[in-house]
Amino acid sequence: MTTQAWQFDGVVRFTRVGTSFLVFTFVIGFAALNTGNNPLYIALTFMLGCLLLSGIASKGGLKHLAIELRGAEEAWAGRPVSLVLRITNRSAIWNVRDVAIVSDDLAQPVLVPIIGKRETIDVEASFLFQRRGIAHVKRIDLYTRYPFGFFLKKRRVRLEGDVVVFPRLLDEEAARERFRPIAGEQENANRPGVGTEIHSFREYVRGDSLRQIYWKKSASLGRWIMKQTELDSARAVHVVFDPYKPREASDEAFEELVSETATYLFHAARRGLTILFTMPRVTIVTSESESASAAFHALALVEPLHEPVAQGADENSVVFALQRETGRGDERARA
Amino acid sequence: MNARAREIELLLLTALSGVPLYFNGAIGAAPLAVFHLALAGMIYRIAHGGTAEIVPEGVLRVIALVYVPLYILDAIANHAIAASTHLVLFIAVYQPIESIRRNNRAQRVLTAALIFVASVATSTDITIVLFVIVFGFMMFRQLILLSHIETAASIGHEYDDAPSNRTAAFYLVGSTVLAAVLFPIIPRTRNPLVQGVSGALTNATTGLSTTIDFSQQRASVPDPSVVSRVWMGPDALPFFTPLRLRANVYDRYMGHVWLQSSRGYRDLAARDGIFEIARPVGFKRSARVQQRFVRNGRIYLPTGTFAINGLVSVMEGPSPDTFTTATAGRESATFDIAMAREVMPLRNERVRILDYPVTPAVAALAHQIVGNATDTEAQSRRIESYMTTHFRYYMQPVQRARPLTIEEFLLKDRRGHCEYFAAGMVALMTALGKPAHVVGGFYGGKLNPLTGYFAMRLEDAHAWVEVWTGDRWLTFDPTPAAMRPGNVREGLLRTYLSALNDSVNFFWDRYVLTYGLGDQVAFAMEVLMRLRNALGRSHASLSMFRQKFTFIDATNVVAVLAALAALVLFIRRRRRPLFDDLSGHLRFLGIEVGPAMTMEEALRILHDRRPEAARDLAPLIADYEDEMFSPRHVHGRVAAIRRALAGVRSKLET
Repeated sequence: MTTQAWQFDGVVRFTRVGTSFLVFTFVIGFAALNTGNNPLYIALTFMLGCLLLSGIASKGGLKHLAIELRGAEEAWAGRPVSLVLRITNRSAIWNVRDVAIVSDDLAQPVLVPIIGKRETIDVEASFLFQRRGIAHVKRIDLYTRYPFGFFLKKRRVRLEGDVVVFPRLLDEEAARERFRPIAGEQENANRPGVGTEIHSFREYVRGDSLRQIYWKKSASLGRWIMKQTELDSARAVHVVFDPYKPREASDEAFEELVSETATYLFHAARRGLTILFTMPRVTIVTSESESASAAFHALALVEPLHEPVAQGADENSVVFALQRETGRGDERARA
Repeated sequence: MNARAREIELLLLTALSGVPLYFNGAIGAAPLAVFHLALAGMIYRIAHGGTAEIVPEGVLRVIALVYVPLYILDAIANHAIAASTHLVLFIAVYQPIESIRRNNRAQRVLTAALIFVASVATSTDITIVLFVIVFGFMMFRQLILLSHIETAASIGHEYDDAPSNRTAAFYLVGSTVLAAVLFPIIPRTRNPLVQGVSGALTNATTGLSTTIDFSQQRASVPDPSVVSRVWMGPDALPFFTPLRLRANVYDRYMGHVWLQSSRGYRDLAARDGIFEIARPVGFKRSARVQQRFVRNGRIYLPTGTFAINGLVSVMEGPSPDTFTTATAGRESATFDIAMAREVMPLRNERVRILDYPVTPAVAALAHQIVGNATDTEAQSRRIESYMTTHFRYYMQPVQRARPLTIEEFLLKDRRGHCEYFAAGMVALMTALGKPAHVVGGFYGGKLNPLTGYFAMRLEDAHAWVEVWTGDRWLTFDPTPAAMRPGNVREGLLRTYLSALNDSVNFFWDRYVLTYGLGDQVAFAMEVLMRLRNALGRSHASLSMFRQKFTFIDATNVVAVLAALAALVLFIRRRRRPLFDDLSGHLRFLGIEVGPAMTMEEALRILHDRRPEAARDLAPLIADYEDEMFSPRHVHGRVAAIRRALAGVRSKLET
């Protein structure tokens, strides 16, 4: 977000109208002192009353506003996300009007025309987070020049709001170019997963579906044996993310690698593929019916490792790792 | 609210700002009429879809260039206020035309405010308050609208709504209340370096003329303007009413004209701030007078006044027995007076008999009336009594080719107004060789029951007679009592409304127009005195309390207070939301429950960090969620959760 011309540090600032009014008040005050004319004193006190009331009203109004951040807890870096600001006016006296809500994380300032006394309203605000990770929305600035436009008052409101920001997605063109059709479309992946062919057998563990029990073998062995189906290669992809960042690689390169991985996963999920996503200590399987957000979540929080970590991958796996010589991302690098 | 309606409203505000100037005469009517015609033209054009440019902007600029030297000349010629007002009116016409090129809404509102302040500053009538209310309301609407528009524009929005009337009214009331609080406390210290000008604020004249000229037709116009207000205590009322305020003494006669002799001014010395103007005889009473200066600094004192307190200076003059003070630019003054049943001059006076040409017929009439009375006072009473019973009061004497002379009044017509009666009695006293003179002033007045003062108005102007008895002047009034001022009977409602109107005007005069540094000092002293008294009273009460208060009492009070505190604590704990209790417990476990976090979420976090604690808390949170968010409420469940929570807490602590 670009900083607005009227934003400032501090709490209050005179506007141009306010400055003119103040000068005008001084002139009237001087004239009243010089002449001792009480009608001029009436005008002077009325003008001072206006200034005082203006200050009290704008400060009193902002002072009683409480803001909560609601709505989506996930967002994409570089893409606006609509969150809800729940604004409560706790004042029993003041209706608060013309409040501009400004924050570094907001895509653009939000104007709230009116919040009645003791009223709570929900305002949709477009947030824009630049970096992946957990974004702590800690503060929001409220500005108002209400009621007479003499002062621009500001109040900084502390917020308790965390949003998980998924990695930045690369643009459509780049994604299309980088996204490769999955090799071996009609073959099985030779890995356990969602499919029809039996891949292997294993012992029953708590939580297994009874549908997968291989009754014949269970009867012969006297204990429950589960059949594992083989992942369909045509509708599946194994994505391996290697968070190792060689010394010579830059932070930007690592971020780009994360973005490339996320973009790859995004488009794979959009095509309805089953994704097996692995990175150190994380294995996530998503199918058509399931969201890939767990994988994006993992990518959002991933930190670069400075030591290589061995990860299992086969010739069909798509591995995202930084090249050790160049420090550049390579989505086809093999383990 | 579209742009056209906004523009018209702003033009109407500008037009309204100049309306009071028609009434207070600060500038001529012609420039004001041009100003309003120009604005009316703009409103007409805008209402029909045009712009405010009734004259091309270039032409106005040329006029402005020509106007500048004229303005300087005007200002130099001691018409600075009028010249400045003309200039601001010109700017107010120019700005709407300029607004086609650039946004100058804020300046236009301020210009209108400037014109209005000029209007208010030169007004003394209370009706200006109505204008202030209407103008304030419209100005607040404009300022609020301006604030809306600028806020919306600053973040790239447009504002189309009209400002709320209720809001404008709210802020008008608020500003007025603040102004009312500030008005009495803003110091009225005059600038010692650059003293400003205080123009004449009234064109009022007394109903009294400097001379009584019977060759002129006398027109008496009813004028309810208040000249003076006099407060008297109930102990003074029976003896000093009806009031007579002395203004002029006509002690010379020259060819049908009764004149005031002029001896110039003589400063009177004050003793402890009190100016003595006569010697009291008999019992004394005091009164307070608030008087408007309608003829220079002439002060109108009630008959019987012998001392004045509260004025900076008092001079005797210009004629004998009349008094003047320095007005110092003020429009009115308030002072205290001391009155006696009768007063005598401070020094021996050489009183001469009036040089009225007494004819034998008048002398014969005078002797016929007084009969065998030889004492001046008795003679005066007989003449006064005779005239009040044998003469008739007419405001307008019979129309005739030449004016009615006093002789004709006394001997033939026997009817006329108060000045004929007074002059006739003086002529008769002169025929008897007794010094007498006509006194012009104000008579009677009306007691305002709401404020307790007598209001003397211009229409209460009257003439009566003072006769020299050898050591003092005695007052006589030959005009029939029923025909003196203030004898018009009014209905109850009219009397009440008149009193109410007068009270409001008095308040306006006393506490607004003439409120000054002296009042502020008095106000501060009053506040301090009340504070001191209150402190003194509380100190005395405390001492008494200490004496009566025993140790047992103290123990009882402490016990009652402790019980009350325990009760409050208990009620507060009972009324405390369960959410707070649970979040307090979670805080104890190291989980901060934010305002946007649910208990379920907090429990999940706790489960990750301290699974065993989460296991204990989970059923309680499930109960809590059920109690709070299901339509089914179980009686006593909240208390049960609280108890269980306390158990979990004590288990953790042990």
